[in-house]
Amino acid sequence: MKSVPIKVEHEGKWIPTTMGIAEDRFRIDAPLNQEIPYKSVVDLEEKKNQVIITTGANGEGVYRIASVEKVLLVLKKFVITQASAYRLNAFFMSPAIRGGVLVQNAQWEKGAIAVMKTGIWFVSQEKQVCIPLDEVTGIEVTSREIQEKNLDVVKIDHLIENELVTSFVLCPLTTLQVLYNFLKEATRDTEVSEEIDPLTGQVAMLVYSGMDSSAIENMLKLSHKDLDVIYEKLLGSGLAEVLYVRKEVQLTPKGVRYISESVKSPMD
Amino acid sequence: MGRILIVDDTMFMRTLLKNILFSGGHDIVGEAADGAEALAKYQELKPDLVTMDVVMPKMNGIEALKAIKAADPAAKVVMCTAVGQEQMVKLAVKSGARGYIVKPFQAPKVLEEVKSVLSA
Repeated sequence: MKSVPIKVEHEGKWIPTTMGIAEDRFRIDAPLNQEIPYKSVVDLEEKKNQVIITTGANGEGVYRIASVEKVLLVLKKFVITQASAYRLNAFFMSPAIRGGVLVQNAQWEKGAIAVMKTGIWFVSQEKQVCIPLDEVTGIEVTSREIQEKNLDVVKIDHLIENELVTSFVLCPLTTLQVLYNFLKEATRDTEVSEEIDPLTGQVAMLVYSGMDSSAIENMLKLSHKDLDVIYEKLLGSGLAEVLYVRKEVQLTPKGVRYISESVKSPMD
Repeated sequence: MGRILIVDDTMFMRTLLKNILFSGGHDIVGEAADGAEALAKYQELKPDLVTMDVVMPKMNGIEALKAIKAADPAAKVVMCTAVGQEQMVKLAVKSGARGYIVKPFQAPKVLEEVKSVLSA
């Protein structure tokens, strides 16, 4: 097992150490001195130059590892292809649509998909893509023309840096429905169960499009108070979160005196 | 910056696109609510670019695109399709569309696509 330098989080501190990556397990040297079989891994998360690997049915072991991209790519590939997760071989296209615009050079890639506790991982020779489950905004089976044939695919809508992205998964029909059901179940928490009235829906659409409060008020002819009520609905149903609180002010007598004096010419 | 004709059967989407495009410095020279009106407005206004909804009454976006391209082969038309209508994109491209945006869309992406088509 060849050793590579890494940093591992131990007792709240990042400790430089080494890690060995083998075909069926990886080893973290002192201070952890542990060998971890990939099949014991139940979750894999990625944050910049770190991965967080969780092992055991109840998440007993959590390993935060930081290293160079090349090392993490190898480690992630072994984990994704051997972890204890719902996994299948499939073709995927991610991203296919980004921010409402079709990605021109998007291609189908042959690889594997693993649905872990917190994310859906796609891995191919070229790519490793993770869609965190709490960023998934929609899942459906749809038809797509592939090599002049209409084939069923699973369409996954998700957010990347607050931008709506669509990815597609293509696999044999026998496993497509199983994958769909599995993904639906895994993302049940983000399903919309509330009834949304049309006006609130329009406001949500405008917020998504990047309109600010003033633009929304002008476009929908709403007062500030009306819009606040709609925002409360969106917040209450978990469809939106507060970005910042805008202040509306009026001038005090001191303020009025200031602006009155500021417009006076020196001759007055 | 371009002179743009917005075609969509819902006033809400037209207003949204108008705001986005206006914020990007474009002139909105006209609006149309169906394909037939789009063709008439195109011939009258000769815009630099058209944003064209696909599903519309009277004449749909694909038919309107074909009619506009027949009248002016150099016309620049960006199709607006809803999520799930991606199949329409191929048909639109075959029919001469220069670009496409999928609803729901975000302002920066729309402006990027429009800029790219205008400068092509």
